[in-house]
Amino acid sequence: MTDERRTDYGPPHYERFLPPIIKENYGKWKYHEVLKPGVMVHVSESGAHLYSVRAASSRLLSIEKIRAYCDLADKYCGGYLRFTSRHNVEFLLSDAKNIDPLIADLKKLGHPVGGLQNSISAIVHTQGWIHCHSAATDASGVVKAVMDDLLEYFTEMKLPGKLRIALACCLNMCGAVHCSDIAILGIHRRPPRVDHENLHKMCEIPNVSASCPTAAIRPAMVGGKQSVEVLEERCMFCANCFTVCPSMPLADPLNDGVSIWVGGKVSNARHEPMFSKLAIPFLPNNPPRWPEVTEAIRNLVELWAKNARKYERMGEWIERIGWPKFFRMSGIEFRKEHIDDFKHAGLTFKRSTHLTF
Amino acid sequence: MAKTVAEIADAMYKLVKDATGQKKLKATDLTKAMVELYGDEVDKQLCKDAIKELMNSGKCVYTYFGGSFIELPHREGAAND
Amino acid sequence: MAESLPKTPMLDELEKGGWPSFVKEIKLAAKKSPMAVDLLGLLERSYKEKIGHWKHGGIVGVMGYGGGVIGRYNDLPEVYPNISHFHTIRVNQPAGWFYKSDALRSICDIWEKRGSSLTNMHGSTGDIILLGTRTEQLEPIFAELSKVDFDLGGSGSDVRTPSCCCGMARCEWACYDTMRTCYDFTMKFQDELHRPAFPYKFKFKFSGCPNDCVASIARADMSIIGTWRDSIQMDKAAVTEYAKNGMDIQSEVVDNCPAKCMDWDGKELHIENSYCRRCMHCINVMPKALRPGKDRGATILLGSKAPIVEGALLSSVLIPFIKMEPPYKELTDIIDRIWELWCEEGKNRERVGEFIQRVGLGNFLEAIEVDPVPEMVAHPRENPYVFYEEYFEAGDEGSEEEEK
Repeated sequence: MTDERRTDYGPPHYERFLPPIIKENYGKWKYHEVLKPGVMVHVSESGAHLYSVRAASSRLLSIEKIRAYCDLADKYCGGYLRFTSRHNVEFLLSDAKNIDPLIADLKKLGHPVGGLQNSISAIVHTQGWIHCHSAATDASGVVKAVMDDLLEYFTEMKLPGKLRIALACCLNMCGAVHCSDIAILGIHRRPPRVDHENLHKMCEIPNVSASCPTAAIRPAMVGGKQSVEVLEERCMFCANCFTVCPSMPLADPLNDGVSIWVGGKVSNARHEPMFSKLAIPFLPNNPPRWPEVTEAIRNLVELWAKNARKYERMGEWIERIGWPKFFRMSGIEFRKEHIDDFKHAGLTFKRSTHLTF
Repeated sequence: MAKTVAEIADAMYKLVKDATGQKKLKATDLTKAMVELYGDEVDKQLCKDAIKELMNSGKCVYTYFGGSFIELPHREGAAND
Repeated sequence: MAESLPKTPMLDELEKGGWPSFVKEIKLAAKKSPMAVDLLGLLERSYKEKIGHWKHGGIVGVMGYGGGVIGRYNDLPEVYPNISHFHTIRVNQPAGWFYKSDALRSICDIWEKRGSSLTNMHGSTGDIILLGTRTEQLEPIFAELSKVDFDLGGSGSDVRTPSCCCGMARCEWACYDTMRTCYDFTMKFQDELHRPAFPYKFKFKFSGCPNDCVASIARADMSIIGTWRDSIQMDKAAVTEYAKNGMDIQSEVVDNCPAKCMDWDGKELHIENSYCRRCMHCINVMPKALRPGKDRGATILLGSKAPIVEGALLSSVLIPFIKMEPPYKELTDIIDRIWELWCEEGKNRERVGEFIQRVGLGNFLEAIEVDPVPEMVAHPRENPYVFYEEYFEAGDEGSEEEEK
């Protein structure tokens, strides 16, 4: 017998990575203030002050960049740093004098500081064409193009409230975009092209049929081989069949693209959490800068910024003014695709005379 | 008489082998089958231990196709050499 | 070892602009990694063709684990041989995503030697994502990660790597110790995390307060969200200070209260706490003056998920209030009963939320031995179609007939 294989040991204990000021004041924080864009101070019952500096990152990071972050953490804050749930990097300082030199170094490195309070934080996103087999659009490229355009809203705090953008490159939504102020969602629009030659070798046919939420897939003999047929008029392009069977690809350059959703939120502050709703059914994939998408998103951000009340999230604002007014103000054409026809669709119909004109 | 981990692991291996090419089995399928086969002689923990043994021995592997399955080791369709 | 970079005019465009550029990151990695060089070429091709070039592998992993590795192969291996295999490794992040530089450097060193040099900090699951390596590197990588105490995360039909907000480490609103709870749950459920035994995935996300910074209510099968039962703590002098410094307390705070449980007479703020919905708005706006109460714990909600397969769901209330203290026995007992039921009756790819939709919340609660309470619903049913399971025959004990 060789050494027993080590398994099931879990992640390293977080206490190893907490700076002394946090260990000393764990659970004792009293209040916090945002001092300027990207910089906040947490004040403890003990009087201790902890300064956090938040910088944007591209989520996709080379080890060279991580090492550069480490060097900055060593230089300014004893080697301690953290990442946020939206892929930003945060440096945890106990000396206020280090804030401005750190910000200057981060800028030199190409990482703007911001994303706090009434700003647009980094876009939660997925892998896209960099790594995903089911992507209907790229992720990193769209995010880069959109945030290049919206950079001022990350580095300044001039919006009425928070605005959270997320991108998922297909309906699997690895990035949970379904509750975002603005969601960018990659979509397919062509039913799967069945690989009849190989399907029987790769997949279990009953599983493939069962995977379809609309029962559009039936077993069939094609060219003497066991395979499946797709009732195309029933396909809603969810790609669930492709997830269980690689012989059902949906990706298609002519028909894949992006849809835009608005008005979701996760926080319980004021209004309860809400799903995002469809604003723009389809925009084309137009790499490298997706101009149609960046323009649509800037228009939505600015429309909300101009009209929302202080603290009002996108969804709260739209709920106050009503969806008809949202469509009139945004100039987005309301179409058949906007009307729900999946489960419980009737609950989304307007069932009153509360209308604006 | 309670079954041993090795006995259950063997019985599970046979199930997986027989199902190969017909149906992919999940961990729960194996556990349910053992309970059906051996009744009170097995419990869930024993089945868990047997699956762990089956995996650690390399006789079976976990696979993923829109859900996790337990299969015999094989070269997968998508693989590049 | 560096190869000359392929021509990438479209990607080069994305080196411009003020937001950090992922293309620059790939090029940084490409100075040393032939995998990153080929990735540039392949991605440029995807940009031209408007389609991805990856195949999903379903079998690669490390011995004994069913989670933590996502298999990937490109569909043009002759053209891009260095990324013919490009598997992802999910590494379980430390709670709250806190690091010390030496630990991060140790991961970088492993990844420089055995992978593409590219990562995500972090993936949507919360894990450290090591992006792209070959099958034969998986075991050595796991062995080396093990030496620096990093274990793999979850993938497939298992407990996914739990994640949490920074909680008490850096937030005055944390109503329970999210990082400790996240760590404790991760350790308690190691077997369920590494050896997929469920109908489909199960995610835990721990948020310290109803602001829900880890989007628990939208993304976790079990959402554990901090709250309090007693009154909001108020520092009256600090309220006055906010007013003096120009905050319009009526419009910014009182008018935004969803419960309309506050009033402001220009001098004093009054909160009728028995109507407070614990939404956090007033506390968010006046952090120096208002704080969550002292009797703190969590609300447990169940069932959220993205649309695939049966439509998106938000989590809904299972336990309105519970104290979150080790060993969390009341909660873990309920979790055991949920898993037992779901494993017994759930279908392949059916998340807990979808399972509840299918069998009915009432039946689900009965099976896991939790009593129904009004906090679980937005409102009672609007239709009269109740599935009564029993009825009386004349003469039955307890029937009206017999009572006469």
